[in-house]
Amino acid sequence: MAGSFQRTLPTLRALLLILTLLLGAAIGLALTWTTTMGGYGPGVVQAGPWRVWPKAGTEEADPYARAALARTGELPLELADGLAFIATVDDAGRALDGRCELRLTGAIPQARYWTLTVTDADGGLIEHSSERNGFTSAEVVWNRDGTLDVALGPRARAGNWLPTGGAARIGLTLRLYDTPFGLAARDSDAPVMPRLITERCP
Amino acid sequence: MSTTPSPTTPPHGTSSRFIPRPPTLLKRLADSWLGLRWLIMPVLVALVLGALVHLVTVLILPFYAEQDGYARLAAVGEPNEMVLLDDPSAKSGVLPRMDPAFVTAACVYDLSEGPLKVRAPVTDDYASISFFTRHGVPFYAINDRTAGRDMVELDLMNAKQKAGLPENDEVTAADQLVVESPTDQGIVLVRALVREPGAREQVRTLVETAMCAPSL
Repeated sequence: MAGSFQRTLPTLRALLLILTLLLGAAIGLALTWTTTMGGYGPGVVQAGPWRVWPKAGTEEADPYARAALARTGELPLELADGLAFIATVDDAGRALDGRCELRLTGAIPQARYWTLTVTDADGGLIEHSSERNGFTSAEVVWNRDGTLDVALGPRARAGNWLPTGGAARIGLTLRLYDTPFGLAARDSDAPVMPRLITERCP
Repeated sequence: MSTTPSPTTPPHGTSSRFIPRPPTLLKRLADSWLGLRWLIMPVLVALVLGALVHLVTVLILPFYAEQDGYARLAAVGEPNEMVLLDDPSAKSGVLPRMDPAFVTAACVYDLSEGPLKVRAPVTDDYASISFFTRHGVPFYAINDRTAGRDMVELDLMNAKQKAGLPENDEVTAADQLVVESPTDQGIVLVRALVREPGAREQVRTLVETAMCAPSL
């Protein structure tokens, strides 16, 4: 009994070594996969539900931002060009649902121009009957007090309305062009962003 | 076991002072061959190895990404030539996550043969030129307001070519915008805002005049 155990021990050791190496590789790859998904690494600045990675648009972009960008194949907005704020949840932390009636409300940070784009959860444009996938600052109707209200939902509404195509998960990108909010590195430096509210869900 | 019971100890040994406590289940498992002690080393090694694999893959990912920005743009245009990109739609888009409110032209460049001239028109609204390295790291951008002219013209060169520029040349000093590229290969994007859909054709016609070509 003890003798056969002694004989199988080297095989067990080798098996254990292989399993250890495999586990290590799996842990490493899983970490890389998750850290380069759904964002551009640790350089995030948060303003309510909006997230922005100012450093990703500079030469000082950290390795996570570089890896995430290379993986998706996108070219970031250069910081001197503009800032792109991304939201996939509303103010209450609930995922933005394109089947619901959503509202973006509040002041837009100072910028020469801005654009608001409705995308799916991965940042791709949504296919629907309307041509419209966003607004520019020159197109919207402003409130008297200088704030903005944009209704988002599957069915047309009066005022500023953006179609969501009834997609289950949507994302919003607010890009500010020629804006003084450049080198914000902390959440406290972030400008006040418009609120995102889920009003009604079917 | 070896301790001699003191005379005050009751005969049935109810005092716990002298009877060793039975080992806990965890300790028994850890002590035995079938226990957990043998797991400590492999798990530690796997964690350290995982951290290493993670760091290395993140660092080399930009160099092995096959569908990065450069590859996508190189597939639609020749090097050192400006191409007007199709407007992004739900089904297609040369580059992901591009602002659909913009008309974009792109030029993948290679400076090994000599410096390039980049020209971009200024439109009624916002327009910009941005530069990226071979691996998509942005290194310079200029917009219509910072340029402040009808047509933005830049000279793009690598460090060696820039060092070879004649010094104190009046033309060089005053009128030339020189952009130094950290890598020989890279990408230029010329982007112009379309303020409302009706203006798209007009902006496209303007952006079509953008160019990038070897400077003589």
